[in-house]
Amino acid sequence: MSNFTTLLERKVMPFAGKLAAQRHLQALRDGIILTMPLIIVGSVFLILANLPVPGYTDFMANIFGDEWATKLQYPVGVTFDIMALIAGFGVAYRLAEKYELDALTSGAISLAAFLLATPYQVSFIPSGESEAILVDGGIPLALTGSQGLFIALIIAMVSTEIYRFIVSKNLVIRMPDGVPPAVTKSFIALIPGFAVITTIWIARIVIEMTPFGDLHNLVFQVVGAPLSLVGGSLLGSLVAVFIMMFLWSAGIHGANIVGGIMAPIWYGAMDENRLAFQAGEELPNIFTQQFFEVFINLGGSGATLGLVLMMLFWAKSKQMKQLGKLAAGPAAFNINEPVIFGTPVVLNPMLIVPFILTPLTLVVTTYIGMSTGLVAKPAGIAVPWTMPPIISGYLATGGSISGSIMQIINISIGLIIYFGFFRLWDRQKFAEETTSSSKTSNKSHG
Amino acid sequence: MNILLCCAAGMSTSLLVSRMEKAAKEQGKDYTIWAVPGEQARKQIDKADVLLLGPQVRFMLNDMAELGKSKGVPVDVINTLHYGTADGAEVLKHAESMAEK
Repeated sequence: MSNFTTLLERKVMPFAGKLAAQRHLQALRDGIILTMPLIIVGSVFLILANLPVPGYTDFMANIFGDEWATKLQYPVGVTFDIMALIAGFGVAYRLAEKYELDALTSGAISLAAFLLATPYQVSFIPSGESEAILVDGGIPLALTGSQGLFIALIIAMVSTEIYRFIVSKNLVIRMPDGVPPAVTKSFIALIPGFAVITTIWIARIVIEMTPFGDLHNLVFQVVGAPLSLVGGSLLGSLVAVFIMMFLWSAGIHGANIVGGIMAPIWYGAMDENRLAFQAGEELPNIFTQQFFEVFINLGGSGATLGLVLMMLFWAKSKQMKQLGKLAAGPAAFNINEPVIFGTPVVLNPMLIVPFILTPLTLVVTTYIGMSTGLVAKPAGIAVPWTMPPIISGYLATGGSISGSIMQIINISIGLIIYFGFFRLWDRQKFAEETTSSSKTSNKSHG
Repeated sequence: MNILLCCAAGMSTSLLVSRMEKAAKEQGKDYTIWAVPGEQARKQIDKADVLLLGPQVRFMLNDMAELGKSKGVPVDVINTLHYGTADGAEVLKHAESMAEK
């Protein structure tokens, strides 16, 4: 067994370290996070517009008129529908920051480049007609939301790389000393900006001559669709969760690392569900960001809530009792570093088994619950990941009690899987405590 | 003394911060202790006398230690068990011993 921990220490740690320090992955993760506050705000309005309380709709209509729900959805649109714009800007900003370039400029250039790749056409149904026509001169919101997410992220990284390349070759216009720094900065950005815009412009023109039609379509077909197929499948999700838990087993923040790669897929799936939810259609996806945050990470990565409950109520050893008290508060908000490092779970061959096994099992049970229709799917509502379980399940499913029930079932499953392993560990600690206390008492007598 | 802590999101370290503040107060020491998310540490290291990393981000140690060296700020990873049990007094002791070196 100690071979296993040595393997984790020697092989997994350095690899995970490299992966975590990889600039593009970091930028991807940190950039997409920029959309989170907005999306959570939008989600609040989304919940308010769809509260599943009897009589609520009539009550609201009486006070605010029949259009109240539509009006409540205004903020939903503006937050979700510009996801790609914000995420692209954020990624370009964060990546530039790591290269010590002017981050704000990089974000701005990337934003322009993204819009350059976007066809300025919106579909419009003239009054009296039944078929939509394409009208020029508008920015299509469909492409600035989750649908444009992949291309926005790619363009953010490409444009920042071009920017960096040109600055590193010193192909910039430098102002003489004495010119205000703000002016100098804008001149330094001139040639890189020109290069980025020209590159995307040429790409757009070339793609327009192919059957793909536009860059959005190309990226969606070549990158987006295959990735979504993987990330949206049961097997793909199990693999992702396994890697996260494996990294955590070595004491490395796995969700933080794998999340960067999976976020575009799971956020995209979330928004597809949001659109369907608003339209009152069937929700297309099970695996969204909230699937993992709300139904799998109960009490934190590894679904350790069950473990904490056992420490709190059944622990024999002082150490586990103490830790249970300390860990219970944070665990209610899905923060579980005290459990992970205090028990410890990491690099502990005995507890790593349930730590990996529980979330994998929960992926399967939740998937079964949702695919059979017994449990409501996540409705594209982003509840903060620190929202306590049972409440979060209700909210994330758009107000379905089945979401809360699924969480209770999952917590119980966690309890069952952790139980035997916890007993073994607790007994071991208890034995250590009694022998060490008898030793000290011997000393004092002797 | 100024002690900077960092972890992934700055959440679990903030729990430790309050424990360390309590321990410092009990010992009659007037320290400034605060926690930030991982990358933020890069920007705030100048304000710190010591930088401590949560064990879940210990892969950042090499990078941060190098940065710390150039700024004269000692950097280390918090002991796993002290971190897990939020043992403010022990981590405080660790920080003090780092600053003395």
